[in-house]
Amino acid sequence: MNPSEVAAATEGGAVVLDLRPPRPFATEHLPGALTMQFNRADLADRAELMLPQELRLVVHAEPEPIAKVAVEILLDAGFDVLGHLEGGLKAWRVEGRPTETLPLIDVDDLHGSLAAYTVVDAREGFEYRHAHIEGAVLFPPGEAWERADELPARTPLAVVCGDQTRSAYVASILRRRGCDAVLVMGGMVDWLERGYPIERAAA
Amino acid sequence: MIFKQFRYEPLFQASYLLGCSRAREGFVVDPIADLGLDFYVLEAADQGLDIVGVLETHVHADFVSCARELAEMTGAPHYLHEAAEGLVRYEFTPFGDGETLSVGQIDVQAIHTPGHTPEHTCFLVTDHARSDEPWAVLTGDSLFVGDVGRPDLLVGDQALDVFGETERAELQFRSIREELFTLPDHVEVFPNHYGGSTCGGVNMSGKASSTISFERRFNLALSQPDAAAFASFVRETAKPFPDNYQWIKSYNLGLITKDELEGARRA
Amino acid sequence: MQITEDRLLDARGLLCPMPVVKAGKEIKSLEPGQVLKILATDRGSVADMPAWAEDTGNELIEWHEEDGVFVYLVRKGQEA
Repeated sequence: MNPSEVAAATEGGAVVLDLRPPRPFATEHLPGALTMQFNRADLADRAELMLPQELRLVVHAEPEPIAKVAVEILLDAGFDVLGHLEGGLKAWRVEGRPTETLPLIDVDDLHGSLAAYTVVDAREGFEYRHAHIEGAVLFPPGEAWERADELPARTPLAVVCGDQTRSAYVASILRRRGCDAVLVMGGMVDWLERGYPIERAAA
Repeated sequence: MIFKQFRYEPLFQASYLLGCSRAREGFVVDPIADLGLDFYVLEAADQGLDIVGVLETHVHADFVSCARELAEMTGAPHYLHEAAEGLVRYEFTPFGDGETLSVGQIDVQAIHTPGHTPEHTCFLVTDHARSDEPWAVLTGDSLFVGDVGRPDLLVGDQALDVFGETERAELQFRSIREELFTLPDHVEVFPNHYGGSTCGGVNMSGKASSTISFERRFNLALSQPDAAAFASFVRETAKPFPDNYQWIKSYNLGLITKDELEGARRA
Repeated sequence: MQITEDRLLDARGLLCPMPVVKAGKEIKSLEPGQVLKILATDRGSVADMPAWAEDTGNELIEWHEEDGVFVYLVRKGQEA
């Protein structure tokens, strides 16, 4: 699909699924795009766990061969995929179309200004109970699309998971809904490695 | 370190993907169009590596290279030795002898080894996570397992090179003896061809890797007493020319288009 | 201490949460007391795996990192 076709599809309610790694996605992505990192071995499994089946999707992945394989994988997994963005971000930008960003912070940033954020923990209950940041809101990725409106729109949200794979997906959902969400690179693994304070139990 | 050798059996050709998983970056060396762009892109993705460089040991004569297209698709530089300037008709990123490219903890150092072609370069691989000593050398078509690259596959401007075939053979002898055989014994040898490939002689082994010490000791061509004897030996143990080598080389040099190449092959 | 595993799960190359999801499936067919060795390259597993073990009543005996691969040894619990 060329950029105009993608733009028309999103106007019609389709959602762009950006399969690039978190950093390039954060730097620049199509407006309202969700993100899930491409990995041939388990894209289908992860999509099934997290992505609402009812979404109409347009895939953005680079280089092109990855986009084509991803479309096939997602179609096989039963998702409604309209196509992929031909020419990638370059083709989109060349037409002067707007893009969005996802701010990134690391655990040192978060630790340094914890009071400024509401932490959104994009993991499962058992992971949260084992160790979480004080005051974090449990927000499993499989529920994120349904529950996105529960979170305050104007409060800065810092999204974490184990590293940043699932939190990137949740952060993209929150940004799409207009929340002021940032992605915490390194997540709970880095937080624990630093020895920063954690709480256990009680979601 | 991630190190993968891909063998395309119909042409006995070996290409490589090597990189640092921590840095999530890697290089592709000598990619072959018969495996295709999708193949390399997906292999790199499977290994969690972004392709940040497409390297070629030399301009190939026996298989169609997809280095240019892979470089364009991934946005990575297409690297060839600077001696290829003026010989190829397209843009590339030149490197010089001794220059090092790095991904994470992996260093890839260029060793200019003219002979098979004027721009031929080997790539010495060091993984600093394990040791500061070199671990492997990608030898292209200079040193093969059991054999050496033939000196008589040049076309176009390359064939107008100062040296004749005998001189190129002698250059090959010196390059391998002085640049490769001086490497530590343990360094593994990973060539661009093996087995039935017609890029080398009848003694080419079907095993697609070896070590410097084993080749130093048992490679028959390199065991010849001098460059002249080596040149004779190579001539006497040569295989038939690769199919369509003049057309393939012309395409890889950028002298003809893909359509012209396909047209010639069909004829 | 050298522990030999009864089953090996190679979850290298999988992204989170798959290593833990697969570990959960794999350990079902082990007997209590048996040891599952899990290999993963996903850094998130460093936090996921201990949490999963605790939650499911399995014992994470030890884990370490070798050349970019995380190696976990988990003993199946009695009630698990």
